[in-house]
Amino acid sequence: MIVNCRAEELILSKERAIYWKSKALLMISDMHIGKSAHFRKNGIPVPANVGLTDLQRLTALMQEFKPKTLLVTGDMFHNNINSDANAFLEWRSVYPDLGVILVKGNHDDLKKEDYEALGIEVYTKELLIAPFRFIHDKPKNTDAYYNICGHIHPGVVLYGKARQRLKFPCFYFGSDCAIMPAFSVFTGLKILQPGDGGQFYAITPDRVVQI
Amino acid sequence: MKLENSKGYKKVIKWLKTSKKKPFKFQTDAWQYYAEGYSGLVNAPTGFGKTFSLFLAVVIDEINRLEAVPKSTSKKKQSKRKPAGLKLIWITPLRSLAKDLARAMREVCRELELDWHIGVRNGDTPQSEKLKQKKQMPEVLIITPESIHLLLAQKNTHTYFVSLQCIVADEWHELLGSKRGVMTELGISRIKGLLAERHPERLLRIWGISATVGNMEQAMEVLVPYPNLLKTIIKADIEKKIDIRSVLPDHIDMLPWAGHLGHKLAHKLLPIIYKSKTTLIFTNTRGQAELWYQTLLALDENLAGLLAIHHGSIDHELRNWIEDALHSGTLKAVISTSSLDLGVDFKPVDTVVQIGSPKGVARFLQRAGRSGHSPYETSVIYFLPTHALELVEAAAIKEAAKTQNIESREPVVMAFDVLIQYLVTLAVGDGFDDTKLFFEVKQTHAFTELLPQEWKWIMQFITTGGDSLTAYDEFSKVNLVEGLWKVESRQMAMRHRLHIGTIVSDPMLKVKFITGGYIGMVEESFISRMKIGSSFTLAGRVLDFVMVKEMTVLVRKSKLKRAITPSWMGGRMSLTANLGSILRKKYNETLDKSHQDIELDFIYPLFERQAKISHVPKDDEFLIEMIDTKDGYHLFAYPFEGRQVHEIMAALIAYRLGKIKPMSFSIAMNDYGFELLSEQVIPLDENEVKTLFNPAALSEDIVASINATEMARRKFRDIACISGLVFQGFPGKYIANKHLQSSAALFFNVFSDYDKYNLLLRQAYDEAFYQQIEEPRLAAALHRIQSSKIVMVKSDRYTPLCFPIKVDSLRENMSSEELSQRIERMTAEAEKKNNKK
Repeated sequence: MIVNCRAEELILSKERAIYWKSKALLMISDMHIGKSAHFRKNGIPVPANVGLTDLQRLTALMQEFKPKTLLVTGDMFHNNINSDANAFLEWRSVYPDLGVILVKGNHDDLKKEDYEALGIEVYTKELLIAPFRFIHDKPKNTDAYYNICGHIHPGVVLYGKARQRLKFPCFYFGSDCAIMPAFSVFTGLKILQPGDGGQFYAITPDRVVQI
Repeated sequence: MKLENSKGYKKVIKWLKTSKKKPFKFQTDAWQYYAEGYSGLVNAPTGFGKTFSLFLAVVIDEINRLEAVPKSTSKKKQSKRKPAGLKLIWITPLRSLAKDLARAMREVCRELELDWHIGVRNGDTPQSEKLKQKKQMPEVLIITPESIHLLLAQKNTHTYFVSLQCIVADEWHELLGSKRGVMTELGISRIKGLLAERHPERLLRIWGISATVGNMEQAMEVLVPYPNLLKTIIKADIEKKIDIRSVLPDHIDMLPWAGHLGHKLAHKLLPIIYKSKTTLIFTNTRGQAELWYQTLLALDENLAGLLAIHHGSIDHELRNWIEDALHSGTLKAVISTSSLDLGVDFKPVDTVVQIGSPKGVARFLQRAGRSGHSPYETSVIYFLPTHALELVEAAAIKEAAKTQNIESREPVVMAFDVLIQYLVTLAVGDGFDDTKLFFEVKQTHAFTELLPQEWKWIMQFITTGGDSLTAYDEFSKVNLVEGLWKVESRQMAMRHRLHIGTIVSDPMLKVKFITGGYIGMVEESFISRMKIGSSFTLAGRVLDFVMVKEMTVLVRKSKLKRAITPSWMGGRMSLTANLGSILRKKYNETLDKSHQDIELDFIYPLFERQAKISHVPKDDEFLIEMIDTKDGYHLFAYPFEGRQVHEIMAALIAYRLGKIKPMSFSIAMNDYGFELLSEQVIPLDENEVKTLFNPAALSEDIVASINATEMARRKFRDIACISGLVFQGFPGKYIANKHLQSSAALFFNVFSDYDKYNLLLRQAYDEAFYQQIEEPRLAAALHRIQSSKIVMVKSDRYTPLCFPIKVDSLRENMSSEELSQRIERMTAEAEKKNNKK
């Protein structure tokens, strides 16, 4: 699915990512690396394969788009560095030329050295690449920049006749802000209600569907 | 020596005589059996002193024991009380029972000059009191199953139980069919085990007190599964008189065809309230209770201050106040949900009102028993129907009460989630030895069938996270310390203690006035739909929403008279099989007028209308209505088997229809029947109905038809909370670590994808199949349909029978189309709608 946003062409992938072709930039949000390990450390058994699946999906995206830069709009790491971060380091070493940029989110609590060791360029608040502002959570005030953010893990409900309903993660494109779905499969959904004229793109198992 | 000649027995009889009372036979029987060392179950109607049958047995025993000890230092004793240690543990399912019980027991001890302390321990007990108990246990401890487990989660628990004589499970029928029953079984097994480890020679008696259930014998076996204990059932030979009256409108047209509120008849309630000393008004949901409170006050302002509302979401201080006011008779009426169902003896209550169907005979009789509590008094209960067809239910219940046709309660077995929680509880406490504990757990009824490999899996689940095939790196919870499995992290132990229990509700938020003052609790999902300034009602007050701050909802008093009521997500009850079959019979009697029920005479005009546009099914008939409207094509069927059976039957029929032609249905049901709604014509002829409802190949078709995954997912919500995967969060007291937030649905997906052999997943499917599907009952219903006469009616408008189903908002989906097809069709429809705009 290709959308046109502020005269820029963006490809929406069903693997919960956006590819900005003219800049060779792959964007994702809310990866939550280390979330499953964090749960395990606290006595809640979450299989480790969960995190590995996320990295495999990321590899597939790398092969599909061959981006120069990977941009994560926040919540890349879940709280602390743990065994899942090692898996990411391994993945990272396969792509030494890939630039990885992180705009910090509320869960990103790693030390400065750790980000350096993982080869991640960190922006604390936001990153501006005209016409877009990349930021974790949607800012209260708007300006000339179009915001691209994550944070809330958006989802949408499709209703059919005879009161049928199905739930999917989604992309949202509003008048001054786009919200990306959470990349990690180990995340929940916040269901958004269509209403303010924004456009929703549901991610079904096969493809991205405009609603 | 015969018990009658013992000092204790004589003393008790003498005391009873001074208040002009004589023990009932079942009471003296219980005392005798207790003295002989028996365990067992006491079954007696409410109000005849069930409590005394066992409490006095323990007291008599104690007095006789003291008698046997030579009184050499009797003078010294008087100067300072020498505690005897914990003698009796009294388990009650409801906190509200504890206070009342303690009061009655204290009075007995005072009158009999027995120097015993009676302690209460539950969620409402202040911390200072708990600490005092820790230093010195009272002789009698009145406790909930959850608090027993909390006690086991402390260090050095075994010291509490050295002088324990008896454990009593009060209102056992309430616990029996639930996971709280399993908690009780496990708690008793541990206490028994702790005592036996140190004093194998001592006898611990286990007794239950239960109202009548269909499976009395089994109820005792579940509570007392130990082969080395003598056991018996003591049944009281007394019948409680119950007077059941229906509240009828002036004309049948004043009763709606559908609905669940019933407030159109509210004005009929006022004379009943004024005529009675104190009235208890029971509703089925908390939301309904709130609405009735508003309705009654709007109707009669004189009731202000005399009317109160009591349910589980209300501040416990307010609940205490209401209960005290009930005792003293200062309240005219209290509107309540099941929170006042059980044994509390409020003397001034002489009238009970049940609003809407009670769904089962046992529940109705229990509620009736809240009035006329003293022996030989008649219990008076009014039944107020919320829609017209419920009048038939009133007649059915009357008959069931007369014939004592009372439901069984199926005990819960193999609840792995409860077992996991229990093991972590013990690990938080003194730790446990897994080989010894396996046999102890296996002795309980719930886990008789527990296999060593299942036990191994559970041990892995709490120690390494899961089996070695699935990677669970860095997992830490329960570790082996000097031969015992323990939780070492203080933080993890604290979190576990906060989540002991099996009652799972939506995350609840405290509601407070912005100026201070706690009102009660509401579900987070309800508040998330609120906007600033919008209003809702709680505890009978209309409140304006201001904001949510730190897990607390801040509100202002509203100027509005009415507002929306939160809908608490309690489980919807289903009509029991007993009531269903009597109900079908009553349909018959209504038509041929072979009855003495005024309710049935009253509803006759509605039946006539149904007969005119459709048909009224007799009990040897099976009615299907095919109705076409602008919503689509409807199929209504009426087996009268309760909503739960209908849910499965509807899915089954939808599946079988889908085999003829792929199509999607939306399903709705109530206790009388179900609806299949489709946007395509439903291909069904009268002569095909029996083939469609054929019991052959039932099991296969059930598996293929119901969305077992969806059902299991729903069941998994509770399982995930109980087993500690998901934290409910404790309103106000504890904010769950934000890095550990997740949902049961997420875990369900993750386990399904990555850890298929997870026992908790299997439990979710098992619960879905056995509790939700009730296959034997479904098969019986289908067999009955086979031998019935099929009546199919086609119509273009809704009938009185189908209307209540039609307006039921809880719906399920069932589709034989591919997911992608469905999505495409649904998006196409959405687009069409957008274009129209």
